[in-house]
Amino acid sequence: MSRTIFSTKSAAVLVALAWLVSGCATSVERVDVNQQIDLSGAWNDTDSQLVSAEMMQDVLNRVWLDEFTRSQKRQPAVIVGEVRNLSHEHINVNTFVADLERSLINSGRVQFVASSTERQEIRDERKDQDLHAREATRKAMGEEQGADFMLKGTINTIIDASGKTQLRYYQVDLTLISLADNRKVWVGQKKIKKLVERSKLNF
Amino acid sequence: MSAQRLRGGMEDLPTYIGRVSIWLATLACVLALNGCATYSNSFAIIKQQLAEQHYDEALKSIEDQSGDKRDRALYLLNKGMVQRMKRDFVASNESLEAAKQEMERLYAESVSEHALSFMVNDATVSYAGDDYEQVLVHLYMALNYLELGQPNEARVEALQIDLKLREIAEKIPDSKFTEDALSRQLTGMIYDELGEWSDAMIAYRKAYEAYKKNRAHFSIDVPTMLQFDLLRLARQQGLADELARYQQEFSVASTKETTASSEAEGELVFILNNGLAPIKREKVIGMWTPPPAAAVDASKRAKNTDTTPTTPPVLINLALPYYESRPSRVACARISVSGKQADTQIMEDIDTIARASLSARMPAITARAVARAIAKGVMQESVDKSAQRRDDAATKMIGSLLVRVVTIATERADTRSWLTLPANVQLARLSLPPGSYDVTVELLGKDQNLIATRVYPQVTIRQARKTYLSQHSMPY
Repeated sequence: MSRTIFSTKSAAVLVALAWLVSGCATSVERVDVNQQIDLSGAWNDTDSQLVSAEMMQDVLNRVWLDEFTRSQKRQPAVIVGEVRNLSHEHINVNTFVADLERSLINSGRVQFVASSTERQEIRDERKDQDLHAREATRKAMGEEQGADFMLKGTINTIIDASGKTQLRYYQVDLTLISLADNRKVWVGQKKIKKLVERSKLNF
Repeated sequence: MSAQRLRGGMEDLPTYIGRVSIWLATLACVLALNGCATYSNSFAIIKQQLAEQHYDEALKSIEDQSGDKRDRALYLLNKGMVQRMKRDFVASNESLEAAKQEMERLYAESVSEHALSFMVNDATVSYAGDDYEQVLVHLYMALNYLELGQPNEARVEALQIDLKLREIAEKIPDSKFTEDALSRQLTGMIYDELGEWSDAMIAYRKAYEAYKKNRAHFSIDVPTMLQFDLLRLARQQGLADELARYQQEFSVASTKETTASSEAEGELVFILNNGLAPIKREKVIGMWTPPPAAAVDASKRAKNTDTTPTTPPVLINLALPYYESRPSRVACARISVSGKQADTQIMEDIDTIARASLSARMPAITARAVARAIAKGVMQESVDKSAQRRDDAATKMIGSLLVRVVTIATERADTRSWLTLPANVQLARLSLPPGSYDVTVELLGKDQNLIATRVYPQVTIRQARKTYLSQHSMPY
């Protein structure tokens, strides 16, 4: 009788110990970058990828591109302007802007010009070359390619919350503006809606 | 024989309860020992280091005291605040962001912690921050971003303040803290700078409503800078009716002030974090009462007077928190920039807000303390009873005494609060032409006597932009 009690007890202790130990170690699991994982409901990599994929599809299939190539007999040069974060979260807009840039350049139908901060660094380097580089390899100033279009945008959110339920609505707007005449040649929009349930209790 | 055995078996249950109680009490004792000094007592040394402006030492002390996982939010809040005083705004934002996430995590209440708090005390529950603290963490993050010159990031915090205030208003509709006037004012200033004037107008309006509503509780009138902001934007937006109403209410000669900050000029915004927020102390109300079950026993005892031994009275302890102000000698600050002067004005009285918040929660805290006292009383009684059935006098004594000591020792008030917050926040604004200036800040006492002077060299003012500068003055 007492032996059974003892063994039951020790089994319980063992289980408890095992549980404790398992809670101690950090566990790492590698996941595919395309796998959708939502943790807190905040803006994450999945949103960023969704937005850039959709926007890229859209921008390459619209008339502005063919029109420009036909009339100018060359590819348009685009520059990325500011994508303003008007949302409730500190969103890193650089990731999807970089995604977008990469897809567009790799499509081979659009050229990209370095942004203003990048340009400054290049100019400094060119100035440096002027002083130190060999004549044959020196790059001249005033030979930069001017952009034809500027890509600008905003990220907006509307959040509606009641108790532990939260509805998060994201809207990303991107606009391509012609630098020559301020015409908006393309407007892209992507909406994301999430319903987040927060837990009220834990043990 | 068998009857005796049966009786013995029946007696086992109370003895068992008694033994478990002693075991529990010892456990509680161990728990209580490391919590012998209340949270707020351990802050004295940090306060001293801050007063001497030894921020690195203060950070180290905060780090040393960071052992308890339940106080993690507070540790991060204090760390972020001291990093701010050190003018390390990037690090401060990292700490405050982590504090915010910890508070968010604690939105889900822990059942096990609450069960333990019912047996031991309120301080066994992880600290998720008072409502006003949860709002102010956003405010200070916004200020950090503004001092770093990132109004767009500050705008994100402003939106989060709005969300948080809505959440509080929904949770506690009759709370006094459903609006935070200073946060709204700052939100307005952020929108204003970013050229989003209709949003700025809405924020100023909310600040105005909040100051008016809270005038009775928090004794701050609508600040003159807000009056000017309202007049200026109402005129700019062409809101004629509203403009006339404000002009009548504020009775200011409107044209002069409202045109003062023209488009060509920039603005210096000086924030004085004055003193330290009140600190929670513990008051203990102790009383000897008959054990809870004694009343029931009394009727039984009346019938058969002889055998039942009288149980000793139980000492019930209620440990309750109260706020103690930490007065500052500084009444306001005067900023001087190239011949121009401005005095700071109180925009938010955190001292009063904290007190109001605690007194609103006091009935619940007291109710929990009473419930706990009764629970501990029941435990005490069962131990006493089981002890009396033992023959050994020493065991009898030790058992009841131990439980008695532990119940008293574990009853501590929850004295945790964000202690590096200022007692009040004051603001001064100066319109200046673009350029680089030396800003002189003089801290003034109650009768305008000079307490300290500090010069901030080479502060850059840019056209149509606001430059934020803050200082925290410590009480000595």
